[in-house]
Amino acid sequence: MKLPKIPDCCLCLSLAALALWPSLSQAALYISIVQGLGGQPQYDEQFNDIRKKIETASATVTDADKVFSFSGDHATRAALLKHFTDLGKKMTANDRAAIYLVGHGSFDGDTYKFNIPGPDLTAQDIKGILEHFPGRNHFIVNTSSTSGAMLETLVGKGDKASNPAFVVISATRNGNERNATQFGRYFAEALHNKDADLNKNNSISIQEAFDYAEKQVNAHFQDEGKLSTEHAMLRGDGAAQFNLARLNAAEQQAELASATGQLAQLLKKRKDLDAEIEDLQVKRSQLNNADYLKRFQQLILQSAELSEQIDAAQKPDTGKKSAPAAGGTSVP
Amino acid sequence: MCLEQRQLRGLGSLAVATLALAVSAGSALAREPLYGVLTDAALLKCEDQFWHGRLTDARNCYQLLQTSKTPIAIRAEASWALGDLQDANSLFQQAVKAEPDNALLRIRWGELYLQTYQYNEADMLFDEALGIDSKNPWAKIGSAEALSKGGGDPKVINKLMEDVVDNELTPAGVRYRGLLMLLHNALGKDKFDEAAKAIEEARSVAESGKLPQLELYALEAANAFMTFKPYQSYIDTALKQDPAYGDAWAIPGRFAMMTRRYRESGEFYEKAVEIQPDHWQAHLELGQNFMRLNQINAGVEHIHTSFDGDKFNPTTINLMRMLDVFLNQTEVFSFPNPPDGPFPKLELRLNKSESTVMKDYVRELAQAGMATYQQRYRFTPKEPVVIEVYPNHEDFVVRSVGMPGVGLLGVTFGYLLAMDSPTAHARAESYHWGTTLWHELAHVYTVEASNHLVPRWYSEGISVFEEWRTGPIPGRKIPLDVYKAMAEGKFLPVEKLDDGFMRPAYENQVIVSYMQGGLVIDFINTEYGFEKIVDMLELFGKGVKLPEAIQQTLGVSVELFNKQFKQFIDIEYGKLLKNLPGWQEDRKAAFAALEKEDWKGAVDAAKKAVSSFPDYVEADSAYIALARGYSKLEDKDNEFRTLETFWQKGGYASRALLALARDYGERGDSEHEFKVLKDVVWADPFAQDLHIRLGNLYLSHNDPARALREYLVLLSLNPPDKADANYKVATAYKALNDNDKTLQYLMTALEVAPQYRPAQSLLLELSRSTGKQ
Repeated sequence: MKLPKIPDCCLCLSLAALALWPSLSQAALYISIVQGLGGQPQYDEQFNDIRKKIETASATVTDADKVFSFSGDHATRAALLKHFTDLGKKMTANDRAAIYLVGHGSFDGDTYKFNIPGPDLTAQDIKGILEHFPGRNHFIVNTSSTSGAMLETLVGKGDKASNPAFVVISATRNGNERNATQFGRYFAEALHNKDADLNKNNSISIQEAFDYAEKQVNAHFQDEGKLSTEHAMLRGDGAAQFNLARLNAAEQQAELASATGQLAQLLKKRKDLDAEIEDLQVKRSQLNNADYLKRFQQLILQSAELSEQIDAAQKPDTGKKSAPAAGGTSVP
Repeated sequence: MCLEQRQLRGLGSLAVATLALAVSAGSALAREPLYGVLTDAALLKCEDQFWHGRLTDARNCYQLLQTSKTPIAIRAEASWALGDLQDANSLFQQAVKAEPDNALLRIRWGELYLQTYQYNEADMLFDEALGIDSKNPWAKIGSAEALSKGGGDPKVINKLMEDVVDNELTPAGVRYRGLLMLLHNALGKDKFDEAAKAIEEARSVAESGKLPQLELYALEAANAFMTFKPYQSYIDTALKQDPAYGDAWAIPGRFAMMTRRYRESGEFYEKAVEIQPDHWQAHLELGQNFMRLNQINAGVEHIHTSFDGDKFNPTTINLMRMLDVFLNQTEVFSFPNPPDGPFPKLELRLNKSESTVMKDYVRELAQAGMATYQQRYRFTPKEPVVIEVYPNHEDFVVRSVGMPGVGLLGVTFGYLLAMDSPTAHARAESYHWGTTLWHELAHVYTVEASNHLVPRWYSEGISVFEEWRTGPIPGRKIPLDVYKAMAEGKFLPVEKLDDGFMRPAYENQVIVSYMQGGLVIDFINTEYGFEKIVDMLELFGKGVKLPEAIQQTLGVSVELFNKQFKQFIDIEYGKLLKNLPGWQEDRKAAFAALEKEDWKGAVDAAKKAVSSFPDYVEADSAYIALARGYSKLEDKDNEFRTLETFWQKGGYASRALLALARDYGERGDSEHEFKVLKDVVWADPFAQDLHIRLGNLYLSHNDPARALREYLVLLSLNPPDKADANYKVATAYKALNDNDKTLQYLMTALEVAPQYRPAQSLLLELSRSTGKQ
């Protein structure tokens, strides 16, 4: 394993978490996780837990040397600015960056600060980091209290808000929501929870993680019998297409690695078919509706048959019922 | 407020169109006679013609006053009488500018604002007049009326009224007007002795001051009507003086409406608008009355007529807005359909946005209630029972009382009841729609079975009693404040219990009165038997008053009855009331400990609270704190038992019940899981998990039709997991052998989630089965 070269202080992920899922395209995804100061043991523990969950999830969607994690004394403003500057230089316009800020924030009515050892990271710092990255479609989530103030710095306030070139999530609506937030832990939980996977594709997109976390935050406050003190915000386009985690990455990797012969062929075929379905859905607006539906049904049926054949191939002893050959089924 | 800023206003977004129309229509709003406030001979001549019904002569007379030779203030009066209110306003403004120290000008200007429902502005002008002439009785009576209509401080109003009415030196006209106001007030509160005195005194003052007595006759008619005496002669006398005096009918009509005698009220109002077609207030109240009697088209027509004539009335504006929603967004369902008799037994009016969710549940509960009440109260409805459910609370209260901002949950007008939907309340935990429906439905039977003559408290008491005895969540549910009132001896003797509803003397007395009513009925049921409750109801329907009804039915005097009831309360709640402070402390301590994440402390305190008051199961019940404490301590078994007890005692907090249903499910107890889920339906039918669980249960018990209903409801709630919701609908259709529908919903599920394996598998199964066919 190669240690990432950029920040000396950066803590690399464990071997077990490395490279479980290969990148599917040429564009690289760089993920930076910053854990701020907890201030109290309960928050230190909570932020540690969140950071670890994000690290594990991140390892399922990009290479290990593209995941950077900062916490404790390593998460200083100087170190972070250097990291992001170097990262910006390294990235191409096709690459994407994802930034997680996990911790507490403060807002004095003028300036938002993410609380880290030494000088804090300000909203202007964060804006500079994002603007410095080449290309578009980057992502930042700030789970801290008052993080809505950062959002306002990034995209503007009220009527003056603009649609950013990146996806940004804040745990609070504005800088006045000052209580320690619940959003972060549910967002991290979403990255590992199949309940968050609404399109059942075993990947968790930004949108899915946000929807899950938002729902859980509401439920949390209802359970506690309190009015919600935080209201998360999501701005920017493409949140549904930006995946942050794969749910069964290890299993799929193992499946691919162990598959031989017919099973390997079937798995590859299904992967290709899934890609074809996705492609068809993207092009839906360009097609006649009837043509689209007909083709979609055909592909779905093929995918279903393949899945059945894969199941049968994986369980030779129990899968007594053999699947019919492709084309042997019809849609009423 | 400076003079230049004063403008008569229409209301809301309709105001722009309003003013022009009001002027051009030349409409005359209801005015009062001058009662001597002005002495201009030319004006008085016109007034005399107007109040004797010679309307054409009066109009010509007023028009002759609209010349530059006439004093500005008199021209203002003439414009006002002719219905040109903007011109009247402008002329008063000029007059006041010319004579800033003339209190009378400001008083009359204030009266113009009173007539246009602008009570704050009116009161400011009366105040300014009092600043010029601090003892002016016309300013005081005007201020009293403005404050009274605008919700002012009763103490201030009373002081102003006393200054006018109790002062023998006050001019007859203003004192007379004060007495008429007191008479309205007394009749509105069923204080007929006070009303009789006020009538006598007003007559004496009117006769000695030679004042017009039209309104007094109308009020006498109302008094006679309300006390079941002949009233026609009073109306005839008024109409003899002024054949076009619509209030001769409208005033009794208003009091008939206030005492819920809607049919008679409608008849009065119809006669009012017949003789005075420009009585816009009567059109409005007739329209509202028709709406209450379920004659929607006629109601809408009169409300529109009222609006066309008087665009200043806030009630009309509110109703117009409500009607816009009501007429365009309501979906109507009748059962049975087609009817099995001359009319359908039940009609539902639901907002289109939630009819998919509510329709079947409202029908199921309403039909169960109707069957229960028909049998228990020996009464078969003679018309369809109509239930309207409003997702917007303000629409509901405007439909019910004409004005927003009233804290009602449901209202019954004879056979028609209107109520809030669960979606009208932000927190489902605090509103149980099923109980509201059950409560209101009982009124249909008690009110109709007694020809609308049941005392208010008795009808409310039966409704509360039925909530506890036969409702969706049986068991006495009494709010904390009521226990405090009970401990402080604030319950009223039954013969005065209506005062608690209609003239509350302290905060929360209305809710205390509801609960006392329920407990009184419960007491009769326990001590004398249920049939006596119905016997008494029937006596009320024959016009028998409460003391006689108690004597005839129960064989005791009302005094003895009150003593017995007090003993009943002492036995039922004496011990609890002594423990109440300690229980309160423990309950609060339990929630405080939860706040501090002291789970064990929460459990200890909650256990003590539950032990001293095990029947308290409201949303802030100690059971909730106890279950949450156990949950945090990961003591699943005790959490389950706590929630189970909470539910068995009638607890209805939907999240707690859903957790209990899940526990029952995990324990394989589908029978109890189902019962708990059905209870959640009556509390929070918009909970998505509820429909998933119910649908799954129905499907697993081979009832795909009901499963389909639950899944379709789920889908209508726009769940986050649309793939799974569509798949669930498909599974139900598959079980019903509807392959086309199965495929339709499957493909929708797979559009959202192409790799969703269960949906893929079902697609394969469907494909193969149809391939075989």
